[in-house]
Amino acid sequence: MHARFLLVPAASVVLVAPAQATTYLTVEQAQAVLFPGATLTEDTRTLTKEQVRAIERDSGVNVLTPRLRVWRVSTGGWFIVDEVVGKHEFITYALGLDADGAVSGVEILDYREAYGDQIRIPAWRAQFQGKRHGARLKLTDDIKNISGATLSCRHITDGVKRLLATHAIALAAR
Amino acid sequence: MPRVSARGRRRLVLALTLLLAPLVTPVPVRADEPLFGFIQTVDLLPKGKFEVEQWATYRYKKAWGDFHVLENRTEFSYGITDAFQLSAYANWNWTTSKKDGTDRKQLVAETFAPQGVGLDPDKRFTDTRFIGVSLEGIWRLLSPYTDPVGLGILLEPTFGPDLVEFESRLLLQKNFFDDRLVIAFNFTLAQELRQLPGDNTAPPGTDEATRHWDRETDLNLGLAVSYRFARNWSAGWEFINEREFSELIFWQGKYATNDAYYTGPTLHYGGKSFFFTLTGIRQLPIAQDFANKGAASQVRGGINYADDFEKYRVRVKLGFYF
Repeated sequence: MHARFLLVPAASVVLVAPAQATTYLTVEQAQAVLFPGATLTEDTRTLTKEQVRAIERDSGVNVLTPRLRVWRVSTGGWFIVDEVVGKHEFITYALGLDADGAVSGVEILDYREAYGDQIRIPAWRAQFQGKRHGARLKLTDDIKNISGATLSCRHITDGVKRLLATHAIALAAR
Repeated sequence: MPRVSARGRRRLVLALTLLLAPLVTPVPVRADEPLFGFIQTVDLLPKGKFEVEQWATYRYKKAWGDFHVLENRTEFSYGITDAFQLSAYANWNWTTSKKDGTDRKQLVAETFAPQGVGLDPDKRFTDTRFIGVSLEGIWRLLSPYTDPVGLGILLEPTFGPDLVEFESRLLLQKNFFDDRLVIAFNFTLAQELRQLPGDNTAPPGTDEATRHWDRETDLNLGLAVSYRFARNWSAGWEFINEREFSELIFWQGKYATNDAYYTGPTLHYGGKSFFFTLTGIRQLPIAQDFANKGAASQVRGGINYADDFEKYRVRVKLGFYF
């Protein structure tokens, strides 16, 4: 086989650029959006096996990692950075909880997929506002779906449900 | 690598170049992508999104002789709605074979059957030909992300110089572990009309003696499982049972001609601008030839070597989008 023809598949390999994340907000920017003017103190911790089991049992959602990236907010409440499964990679998002444990906001930090980023639409994210531990949080039920971004919508919804359970079991209980 | 003539090698190189050329040309498309080589899931393009995909299937190894087929498909897909995807395919194949039949005579691949009629049974056959164009519509009736199980229907007519085919598939999909584990099942019914020229060696008065439309029905069952083991990477396994019938019906056993079972691993990479799927399957030694018995059987060592079967198949699907 003529060697020059090997350049064709070689070129296709070279052109395979690694997937680049679209960073919409850094952690610091998300903190400023969700808790303007407040001081945040990092309180990252690792969930125990018992906590992981309790969270999964409570929420019905798998815990992907026991490491919890969490900040205490000076005005009361919590700021949590989490990841959920996307079509190919993880979607990084931040959840704000007020002093009573209710959702004060959801922000998408990194999105690495070709499509489905409609989850950034403020009206869709606003559906989580005020949700507390015990809320149904089920896509197509109390959380509306965005057609064409179903996987992302479902996993963010599941992620918020899991973090509300995490707050109840591992944060508020302390 | 088995011996292939210089002309055959040139044609293989040409086929590979044509196969890969669209993939090194930047095309502003976005894609969903196939987790599997031979099994279809119900994941579709969102509304208004466009995708281009290149398939190549290499089929090889008969009981005797030399046999190679490269089947190529170039696909363009568009999301009409979020639950309905329309695709168009251009299909072209290359083959070279020599004395590959179970009788150690020439047996060309099924898609080259019109060119194989009346060939010298002892000479090598090499050819490249346009098979036809296909249109494919996939409807997703239930989503695996919001319903207990994903359900879809695929309809695909193909029209070529000597071929009219209509394929219909029932698609089922169930996801587990945050959608990282995917199980898919396909039930496929494909009915083919293939125009064949008259064969001088056939008994006078038979269909084979004059130009006629050969009728065939393929009924396939497919099961596949895939797990995303790392960011962007999934690995899995596919299983396919293929059954052939010599008429446009499949519910009467008297028309059954062949069956074969294939299984093998699949690897998938999906990124933001590129994806590929690589699947290799081999035939299991439990095949049957219902139409020919004894020495005429196309089964050797449990492997079916009829004109649409061989021992190994390797399929790659590639897609670029920017």
